[in-house]
Amino acid sequence: MEEEAGEEPGLDRSSPRDFYFYHTDLYDPEDRLQIFPKQNVRTRREVVQAERSHEPRGAGDGKVQRDLQEEVDELVHLYGLEDDHELGDEFVDENLPRMGASEYPPHMMKRTEPAREQRDWRLTGEVAEAEDLGLGGWGSAGQCQDLREAYRYAHGRASEEYECYVIPEEEDEEEAVDVFCVTCKTPIRAFQKVFDEHKEHEVIPLNKALESAKDEIHKNMYKLEKQILEMENFANHLEEVFITVEENFGKQEQNFESHYNEILETLAQKYEEKIQALGEKKKEKLEALYGQLISCGENLDTCKELMETIEEMCHQEKVDFMKDAVLMADRLGKFLKTKTDVEISAQPDFEDQTLDFSDVEQLMGSINAVPAPSAPVINPQAPNSATGSSVRVCWSLYSDDTVERYQLCYRPVRDSSPGKDQAEFTVTVKETYCSVMKLVPNTQYEFWVTAHNRAGPSPPSERAVYMTAPSPPIIKTQEIRSCEEAALICWESGNLNPVDSYTVELTRAEGPEAPGVTESVVGIPTCESLVQLQPGQSYLIYVRALNMGGPSARSRPATVHTTGSYFHLNKHTCHPWLTVSEDGFTIVRSQRKTPEREPPPSDTRFTRCVAVMGNLIPVRGRHYWEVEVDERLDYTVGVAFEDVPKQEDLGANSLSWCMRHTFASSRHKYEFLHNRTTPDIRITVPPKKIGILLDYENSKLSFFNVDISQHLYTFKCQLHQLVHPCFSLEKPGCLKIHNGISMPKHVTF
Amino acid sequence: MALKQISSNKCFGGLQKVFEHDSVELNCKMKFAVYLPPKAETGKCPALYWLSGLTCTEQNFISKSGYQQAASEHGLVVIAPDTSPRGCNIKGEDDSWDFGTGAGFYVDATEDLWKTNYRMYSYVTEELPQLINANFPVDPQRMSIFGHSMGGHGALICALKNPGKYKSVSAFAPICNPVLCPWGKKAFGGYLGTDQSKWKAYDATHLVKSYQGSQLDILIDQGKDDQFLSDGQLLPDNFIAACTEKKIPVVFRLQEGYDHSYYFIATFITDHIRHHAKYLNA
Repeated sequence: MEEEAGEEPGLDRSSPRDFYFYHTDLYDPEDRLQIFPKQNVRTRREVVQAERSHEPRGAGDGKVQRDLQEEVDELVHLYGLEDDHELGDEFVDENLPRMGASEYPPHMMKRTEPAREQRDWRLTGEVAEAEDLGLGGWGSAGQCQDLREAYRYAHGRASEEYECYVIPEEEDEEEAVDVFCVTCKTPIRAFQKVFDEHKEHEVIPLNKALESAKDEIHKNMYKLEKQILEMENFANHLEEVFITVEENFGKQEQNFESHYNEILETLAQKYEEKIQALGEKKKEKLEALYGQLISCGENLDTCKELMETIEEMCHQEKVDFMKDAVLMADRLGKFLKTKTDVEISAQPDFEDQTLDFSDVEQLMGSINAVPAPSAPVINPQAPNSATGSSVRVCWSLYSDDTVERYQLCYRPVRDSSPGKDQAEFTVTVKETYCSVMKLVPNTQYEFWVTAHNRAGPSPPSERAVYMTAPSPPIIKTQEIRSCEEAALICWESGNLNPVDSYTVELTRAEGPEAPGVTESVVGIPTCESLVQLQPGQSYLIYVRALNMGGPSARSRPATVHTTGSYFHLNKHTCHPWLTVSEDGFTIVRSQRKTPEREPPPSDTRFTRCVAVMGNLIPVRGRHYWEVEVDERLDYTVGVAFEDVPKQEDLGANSLSWCMRHTFASSRHKYEFLHNRTTPDIRITVPPKKIGILLDYENSKLSFFNVDISQHLYTFKCQLHQLVHPCFSLEKPGCLKIHNGISMPKHVTF
Repeated sequence: MALKQISSNKCFGGLQKVFEHDSVELNCKMKFAVYLPPKAETGKCPALYWLSGLTCTEQNFISKSGYQQAASEHGLVVIAPDTSPRGCNIKGEDDSWDFGTGAGFYVDATEDLWKTNYRMYSYVTEELPQLINANFPVDPQRMSIFGHSMGGHGALICALKNPGKYKSVSAFAPICNPVLCPWGKKAFGGYLGTDQSKWKAYDATHLVKSYQGSQLDILIDQGKDDQFLSDGQLLPDNFIAACTEKKIPVVFRLQEGYDHSYYFIATFITDHIRHHAKYLNA
């Protein structure tokens, strides 16, 4: 029987199995599979809740609805979106925020649990519903809309389709079905179509129905996945908001507490002061009254005594009476003369004591005001943040003081005039950074910042020194030397103050890689650099200057061709009788009727032989150049060490090697001089153009007749130092130097 | 034209060989030396012909000059023939060292006694090159020539009489103007007869004066202490003057202290090989 069932090719058997595997494949994690049915159950319940919450308040008195309402209220409270009154209420009732604080964090913490996740969705869903109820107003409208839709979607479609397509699966366990009734949305057996209630209904093969059902579910699941993700993100956002609210209110509480304490202390102090003053006044008054009372009694006694005396007198003899009466009359007169003070010295009533509450009022007023901010912390300069004319200054606050604006002050730091105060500049910004423009390049500026709010300014921050980037250097294009594999670049700093270093950037001007690739040589301490290059290329070379503030802009470019060797004549070595033409490569000795006196000896300038030296690149490779000469001209060409004695002829010492031509009585004489000696060599064709190959690798110096590719002579020379090309004219005339040309093939033999 | 190998010795990676063959031009068995550089194993190399001086055989140059190292480096096949026919049984051929055997002077003799065998000019310019081209890995388009003393004279006239045939030429202490020196007068008189106008056809200095043709680059080394220089046998100044006038490029190096020997040759052989290599390998 089992075998038969297994072999049965019916759709009814295989379809549900397919359906099952489909799930498994797509949603491998088993917990996911478990979630979905639960979710549906859950969401269905939510629909009920949501529907109820639409009813007028109080109409539904179920626990669920009350719970929901409470939660909504709490949330709304938490997000501080109600009016001030409610906010105030909340503050009065300290329990409420506490409650919120204790209740909500667990939701956030345990979110990874599937069940909790469900709860979170519910929460957000409820918030969305709260929005419907008109209590909210938080968040962007679009976001709310999304949420609402998502919520409804989860409630509506998902559950609906769950019912639609999952039920058949259960039924399949019992009996085989092979078609699907679209009208009834139920799978039926084919024969039912014929005579059942499905007779008039539209039916499609079960397979097809299955496929479309799968697609539908698949789509929905995808949407759900997306929704989960959105919800999670939203929950994260809520969490952040939650924390922020908690912190902000905590801060405010502290603030209030300290303020109210201050006020109470002030009041207590005032009370003490008043009470004390009152007591003193009372004592003073009582004492005054008492004194008055005593003196009043004394007066009374005196009066009584006088009365008695007078009465006694009246009973006396006439003579005695007269005698006493006179005395008495004096005494009485005297007594009556003394004014009896019957004014009450102290008023019994309380003097008008105005209570001065102005300071308290001020304190009260300042409860809602924030304290003046504390001093900001200025950051040290970030590397590469400056340009030649601007720096970006950043700072921060220790605490979360309320700050309305910052005042950034700065002034240039100059060592030269310490006594003189530099002008100070101030800028006002709202951010905690400021790009200060229009500064002088490669200059240090001192910055400090104060934070301001209603309560006033903070103390100034520490002072920080920022530096503007340097000005771009200026390449000395007239001094660039090059050979096949390198170039020596020199530049002027372009800055008065020293900079930290320089960077040389090079790009190939032509070729497949041009112009994209830029190579850089960094950290060059001096104003020159020998850069390695590829032969036979053209390069654009730029230089930047760097300091702690950053790099300068690029210098103007210089072009270098790595064809042959390229050098310039060193004018400092030039004999005064020689002039170098404007192009820099034609040497002229002009006719002089009366030769000038020889110039004084010098270490750098040729003074005896009328010569000039070239500046060859300091690379020990192979260098080739050519000299165009007149056949009848007396000239000397060759090489010499830089420190060759300038008051000696070329070739007259061990520091120079050269070819000398002299033309006398229509004979050409060629000498190859070193240490005053020359081999005896005769050359039948006078060269018009001499090729000179300096080969450090093989320690050779060769001379060629360029026009006929003729090798003339080769010195074997030990070049322990670098040598430079030399050119000398023994008679008036001119030489033309050609360099930067590629080496002819014949010279390499 | 069967070649008979007489010897073969490995030298600087290549092989120094000596062959013998029956010469058509000279009507006798002739030996010649050939150096095959390592490069000849894989491809054709230029050929450089060396002409020796009076009294020499093919052996002098290959055993004394030490040229093989430079030839090996530059990849040149170097051929050194004998200086005259030998064993021809001509009357008086062995009477003196400067005429007859060992003194062919690279001329084609016209005098009856000598004209059958003493055709050294044709031998070195025609027969030998054909033989070499046919039997050795050489490029026929690239050949040069050099020599010493009488051979220097031979090298110069071969080059000057055949413009374009030789890519370059050089000489050690060549007999530059044989019509004016005792050796030349004796030899030319003997081989060519008394008509001096015929001599000029084998005189380098005279040939230069009428030279028309492709550019030549001539390198000449001359020992300053060469006895034959002071004896007026070589007369390089005449040649240089002619070249200067005709603007034929010559670098003439008068080497202080050197004589006429193979020590002198050995000293500058590398410069000469390089000089030829520059043109042959260009």
